[in-house]
Amino acid sequence: MTEHTPGSDSEQIVERSDSDTEVEISPRPTARQSWLKSRVERWRQSGLITDEQSQAIMDFESVGTPRFRLGIRFNRLIVVLSTLGAVLIASGIISFVAANWQGMPAMAKLFLLIGGQTAAYWIGYQLQFVRGYPRVGEAIMFTGAVWFGANVFLVAQSYHLGTDNPDLMILWFLGVLPLAYLARSTSVTVMAVGIFTVGISWKAATWVDGPESAFLVMGSLFLTAALLYSIGMLHLRRANLKLHAGPYLISGALLAIGLAYVLTFNEVFEDTRSLTILDFQTLSGSYLALAGILSAVTVAALVVAVRNSDNNAGNPVGRYAEPGVVALVIAFGWFTATLPFNSIALYVTAFNLLLVLLIFGSIVLGIINRREALINVGIIFFVIDLSTRYIELTVDMLDTSLAFVVGGLLLLGVGYGMERARRQLLRQFGITRDHGTEANNDS
Amino acid sequence: MTPNAKRLFIAVIAVQIVFLLGLVGYRESILSLGRTAVLETVPVDPRDLFKGEYVTLRYEISTIGEGSLAPLKNQYFLEGEINEGDTVYVNLTNIDSDVYRLFVQADKPSPYADLYIKGRATQMRNGTVTIEYGIEQYFLPEGRGKEIETADDVKVRVSINRSGTAAIKELIVDGTVWRP
Repeated sequence: MTEHTPGSDSEQIVERSDSDTEVEISPRPTARQSWLKSRVERWRQSGLITDEQSQAIMDFESVGTPRFRLGIRFNRLIVVLSTLGAVLIASGIISFVAANWQGMPAMAKLFLLIGGQTAAYWIGYQLQFVRGYPRVGEAIMFTGAVWFGANVFLVAQSYHLGTDNPDLMILWFLGVLPLAYLARSTSVTVMAVGIFTVGISWKAATWVDGPESAFLVMGSLFLTAALLYSIGMLHLRRANLKLHAGPYLISGALLAIGLAYVLTFNEVFEDTRSLTILDFQTLSGSYLALAGILSAVTVAALVVAVRNSDNNAGNPVGRYAEPGVVALVIAFGWFTATLPFNSIALYVTAFNLLLVLLIFGSIVLGIINRREALINVGIIFFVIDLSTRYIELTVDMLDTSLAFVVGGLLLLGVGYGMERARRQLLRQFGITRDHGTEANNDS
Repeated sequence: MTPNAKRLFIAVIAVQIVFLLGLVGYRESILSLGRTAVLETVPVDPRDLFKGEYVTLRYEISTIGEGSLAPLKNQYFLEGEINEGDTVYVNLTNIDSDVYRLFVQADKPSPYADLYIKGRATQMRNGTVTIEYGIEQYFLPEGRGKEIETADDVKVRVSINRSGTAAIKELIVDGTVWRP
């Protein structure tokens, strides 16, 4: 992890994986680096630190003889190119197998499916852990995990099993999640958590039959979102698990905010069959058990996360705000499942308030905890929500063409304002570099 | 990677392979050891852009009740309380004869059924139950969908194991076995 060092031109954005800690340095030391160099030299001369410690500090702060190191964006480029290349090769082979499935001997099929997957894992392992090419190795490991998923669907397809089946995604998730941790791969974690989120939402959708059960599903998805986020928080408390935290936090935040957004519309609460408000729902025993377990595990994870929190120890807002928001999402999960009131206005107001709270909560918590991705999620949904409300407001008031033009201008203005605000926020709170450095890196 | 992590890594890959081989083995065992039955079907929705070419098969026994595809001469009986999501067993004894009785039994197969297929009740409306058996898609080689789509008569020979799980063995198109 890269520590935040205020005032540094080379400070990093936020919690990054260990593999991303290389920083881009300018060949000319900054004023701060020159100051640090002189101080360290004084400490060394006064005997406070040894020569080795002095060198270690200089190396850590990248002060001294300018060395050429690859920037974080260059590293990402390696990861993106390697992953794309590896996935393209795997896709080509899998498409070939799928297209010629009927005409291929059984042994050839098995060899291509299982042999290809195993070879991808083995090459990935060799490059990542033995030969010293961690990024390319991780990309090929990622391909192995994709290959496994493709194999699950290909085998299902070859036996004419319905492939529009969320269980296959959950099996894929179960297969690749342990790999993410063993290979210490953020990209495989992103894939595993993404598959889980899509798979569980899809599975939940298959349970829907009628408006009432849709709310049961959305209630359980709120609880799943809270669970994902709390698992992410737990990961942050262990140094060796921090690199896996991001995907859980972002998936949880996206799921919760997405659900809250869906529930801000009047129409959602009307029973389309009778055009009346949906009634209070009595929860079945199995639903109560499932929701109870999800909630209990989430609360337990939150308690452990708060107890083991070493950040913001003296700041109750920093310490309790995040668990508080997650607890609120749990409460809304139960609220959504039961629909205890008889007023559409009340539901719509409640979910609009929740959406606003989650959007600003994401931005504020992103700032407090230095998570740029969380800030971006908040900003994206802010713009989506703003656009939606604009369309709702103007659809009956303005001529369509005028509404589009005014809306477009407003969006451009909001986009410009948001970008400015985002830059200012990130710079003000030391989460990213200033504009000039970003531009340099982009180039 | 530590030696322990390396061992676990190998174990996870081994589990993935065993899972895939197990899936292949299970389906092969149904096809080779199961009993066969021929089901009437209507192919609908012939292709999908993302999953390759396939036909969706709606069987005579997919909808049992008033909205059924089954001719009225056939009788159906719903036995036990059937709710959406329930596992059901449909008795296929005498399904090859002209007139037959369809017993749809909840929870467990009838002890008197000679041949039954397991499915899941996906919809229950006005005495009509819609059932999925996991054999509703048939994947085809690229460009062959039209042959099935334009056929007058499509039947499916399925293989069914002792627990009622079915697997598609082959299509019978206009009276002859269709070769992919």
